[in-house]
Amino acid sequence: MDRYSQIIVLCEDSQQARFAYHFLIHCGVHARRIRFNKSPLGKGAGEQFVRDHYPEQVRLYRSKCHHLNIGLVVILDADARSVEAHQNELEAALTAASLRRRGADERIGIFVPKRNIETWICYLEGMAVNEIDDYSNSAILEREWTRSVARLAATRGQPLPAEAPPSLHAACAELERVL
Amino acid sequence: MLKRMYVDNYKCLVNFDISLDRINLFLGENGSGKSTVFEVLQRIVKFVRGVSRVEEIFESDSRTRWHTQPLQSFELDFALTEGLFRYELSIEHKPEELKRRVRHERLWLNNGPLLRFELGEVHLYRDDHSEGPVYPFDWSQSALASIFPRHDNRHLSRFKETLSRVVVLQILPPLMVAESAREDPRPSWNLENYTAWYRYLSHDQGMVVRLQETLSSVLPGFKSFRFEQVGEQHRLLKLYFANEEGNSVAGYSLGELSDGQRALLALYTLLFDAEANPDRDHILCLDEPDNFIALPEIQPWLVRLHDLCQQGLTQAILISHHPELINYLAAESGIWFEHEPNRPVRVKPINEGNLAGLPIAELIARGWLHG
Repeated sequence: MDRYSQIIVLCEDSQQARFAYHFLIHCGVHARRIRFNKSPLGKGAGEQFVRDHYPEQVRLYRSKCHHLNIGLVVILDADARSVEAHQNELEAALTAASLRRRGADERIGIFVPKRNIETWICYLEGMAVNEIDDYSNSAILEREWTRSVARLAATRGQPLPAEAPPSLHAACAELERVL
Repeated sequence: MLKRMYVDNYKCLVNFDISLDRINLFLGENGSGKSTVFEVLQRIVKFVRGVSRVEEIFESDSRTRWHTQPLQSFELDFALTEGLFRYELSIEHKPEELKRRVRHERLWLNNGPLLRFELGEVHLYRDDHSEGPVYPFDWSQSALASIFPRHDNRHLSRFKETLSRVVVLQILPPLMVAESAREDPRPSWNLENYTAWYRYLSHDQGMVVRLQETLSSVLPGFKSFRFEQVGEQHRLLKLYFANEEGNSVAGYSLGELSDGQRALLALYTLLFDAEANPDRDHILCLDEPDNFIALPEIQPWLVRLHDLCQQGLTQAILISHHPELINYLAAESGIWFEHEPNRPVRVKPINEGNLAGLPIAELIARGWLHG
């Protein structure tokens, strides 16, 4: 990416930001070209922050995408709800803000780890996971898991193993929109 | 990692107890005691390095003004690979004689003693906590500072090394001197000794190459560092910059750079020092690291620091009033300081969500954070 490129990451918390940071830099995005817009609201308010700021970020993306090489990455944990429910909710937020729905050619990726980003981290660290249990307190998170994220980035474009969490499979398609 | 600090009877810190994490952001109004915590830490580090005596470090007016107690107490808890270390220091002030002395200095590992210096007598313990030598010692100095590493005091030596390497900085770029007559293994309070410190670090050429690579994207046109010999001992630190075409390269001494460029240089050098030495415990206390640097530069540095902390390569304790830093860190790592005149400082975490839906920096600006 050149010096005028930028990827904006709209996310809930530091764990998501760190995951995105390592994934993007290992996909070749320069660290200085990533700008985080992380919830500054405090615990428990991250999801609302992402939902509330999504339309504004899409509007800003559309105002700049013609002359800047810009992308928008949106991350929010699914928690107990489905990935599709979150994506639909974000689409509805665009409509409510009088913005058109996300176009197929727009570099806007919506990433919804289910149950949350810790599920993906635990999977990448070799743990058998499902999308129902909450792994937020798993000891695996104490490991230096960013190397696994780098490995995932290195295999970008190749099919994920069948046992990977469905939400991670869904994320691969979203990724191709952005990078 | 420094897990906890306790301070009693030091300026506005009375019965002050604070728990710390891998990354911490001290927030609060001016005069709320944030920098006083750094001052305490810096003084203890200086004391344990053995560079000054107790009278020079703990002045008589450092006692809490509205108290009459003669004793100042300090405790530091460090979680290191060996376990939980506790360092205790008590300073006795004798105002009528204008004297100060060490009442006690103790070091524990997992509640077992490693050192007891009490009322002028040192009791040393071996790594297995069995009793070692007992001897009289000067009440005005740190006994810990005087002990040399031995095969049976590895824990004590490891702790001393960790504590004496704690970095407490308020970077003031105009004071950063371009020349140095020697190397210095530690950065000084305002980083006046950047050149001397960089001379020391530059023995690790791998680190220098990585630092130069990163700085080339932070400082447009930056190519490399070079030392120029000035006299027999002195070296002048110069930075070389190229134009976009690469056909014109010019060198500038450190003193010719802008304050912001020097601050960035300092901030990235701190990160690369931590990255290059993962076997060491790095504890960075930075008072307003965002001063002098341009807005787009704050987040890239902060994200990298945050990542190093999460990797366990460093611990960071930051003081800042900058919205960029506050909004990135405060929700998860903020500690709010409060202080009313002639009352002790109180701290509370910032971890509850807020219903106002405003960024924390905006809540602070409005005075709505806790009410």
